[in-house]
Amino acid sequence: MRVGIVGVGVVPFRTVTPEYSWKEIMYEAAQRAYADAGVDPRADVGSFVTCAEDYWEGFGIFDEFTPDQLGAVLRPACTVTGDGIHGLAQAMMQIQAGLADVVVVEAHSKVSDLLTYAGVVHHAFDPIWNKPLGGHPYYVAGLEMDAYLRASRVGEKACAAVVAKNRQNALTNPRAAHGSKVTPEDVLASPPISAPLKDLDVAPLADTSIVLVLAAESRARKLAANPVWIRGVGWSSDSPWLETRSWTTAAYAAMAGKMAYAQAKIRNPAKEVEVAEIDDKFSYKEPQHLEALGLSKKGSTANAISRGDFDIGAKLPVNPSGGSIGCGNVIEASGLHRVAEVVLQLRGEAGQNQVDHPRTGLAASWRGIPTATGAVAVLGVGR
Amino acid sequence: MTFRDRTTNVDALRSWRGDVEADYIYTTGVAGERFFTELRDTGRILAAHCEACERTYLPPRMYCEKCLGPLSDWRPVRGPATVEAVTIASVDAHGNRPPEPEVWAVLRWRGIHGGLVHRLAVPPKQAKPGLKVHPVLRPAGSRVGNITDILYFAP
Ligand SMILES: [Zn+2]
Repeated sequence: MRVGIVGVGVVPFRTVTPEYSWKEIMYEAAQRAYADAGVDPRADVGSFVTCAEDYWEGFGIFDEFTPDQLGAVLRPACTVTGDGIHGLAQAMMQIQAGLADVVVVEAHSKVSDLLTYAGVVHHAFDPIWNKPLGGHPYYVAGLEMDAYLRASRVGEKACAAVVAKNRQNALTNPRAAHGSKVTPEDVLASPPISAPLKDLDVAPLADTSIVLVLAAESRARKLAANPVWIRGVGWSSDSPWLETRSWTTAAYAAMAGKMAYAQAKIRNPAKEVEVAEIDDKFSYKEPQHLEALGLSKKGSTANAISRGDFDIGAKLPVNPSGGSIGCGNVIEASGLHRVAEVVLQLRGEAGQNQVDHPRTGLAASWRGIPTATGAVAVLGVGR
Repeated sequence: MTFRDRTTNVDALRSWRGDVEADYIYTTGVAGERFFTELRDTGRILAAHCEACERTYLPPRMYCEKCLGPLSDWRPVRGPATVEAVTIASVDAHGNRPPEPEVWAVLRWRGIHGGLVHRLAVPPKQAKPGLKVHPVLRPAGSRVGNITDILYFAP
């Protein structure tokens, strides 16, 4: 049974959201999604899935705090401690299992309320082998960037071009918080964080909430003129140990992609995918993920970037929304953000950032430092 | 916006500061105990070997992540470590820029699956992959049995 996305609610990304609580941001995203889908959450929605992690929120047992603002009081609700695409997969399976006809997925970031971001990231390090050594957690991104650049022949210049592209794309995306005119030279000249990683290579943080409404095929056709179908989902985790994982390739993304492509019957992703929103929490992650997902050939990615092959208007636009670099890093909501942007592209509702009539799109997420976990969704319109 | 009224007066914005009291002990476990006791007492770095997979894990663990079999064959690593990747950290844990950047490295040993991620005591310009390095430990007698007993790696 096919599952369609029939409602999208995205709260425009902001660097700070001092007037609203995280619950109110969720409420706003939900209101937008329910209006878009034309559903009454109290009557039409069978189940609710939220995605969050207690340490990002600042309080415990997050899942207990979700029902009221979504219309989920005394309804089936659960929280996935993972990225938004993990939640999307959970919601899709609930529909396919016949548990519910309509399921809501939510993920958000109120990371501006977190005063010690680096401390919480560091708290995710292995407490015996890595955390006692101290340091800013981005040294892991610096190490990975060094390993990947050497193995791939992608240079710091290509990474800088990714930043310039994504910041530029974000300028015309009304949902983005970090659009700006940035040249590759600006990126290369920005202060070092953990060389080769520089300040502008890092996606800046943002707040948002994103809600999607999913429906079983027959219901989706009644609710939406043009539902966006989830053609495949996949997720995978590499060894969590910094010491034993792959540092040069995003092996988790390759495995997650393989799983999603098999369901979507995609044999040649580079030819069949027409728009991609893929993780770029650090500049080098975009080319690394492109290669892992089979969207760019290893060894040719740097040239493809400099030719503009991933720009809006080119054959495979990558992060036409601006990605995390241009819109903002919204932590566990990043995957659902990418899905929402692909949905808008497939509906033809991406405004000035619209890609020319895409029918197949891909969203791929990564859970950030220090994880080696990613999730992928292949989306499509039409038959 | 779905809310009719939006705050425009910043003085009216309210929040309060709180923190989370969350202190733990971190159990090193069977494999960790073995590693850190050996490091403290003899200065040797122990790895755990899986006969079935012909894989030797560092950090050691009591199971093989490939076949999931139990591991009990402990072997010290031999020879110098090789630097696989380096980064020059200009920002410390608190986001400040210390006068001297810190060098971090992914360290590999021949025949070992895994390795260690640790500090490197070489000038940033000389920190390059391929460099052969050795662990520099706290003096015997002052070691405490955790990963900070290795101070850094140096040529
Ligand atoms: Zn084994």
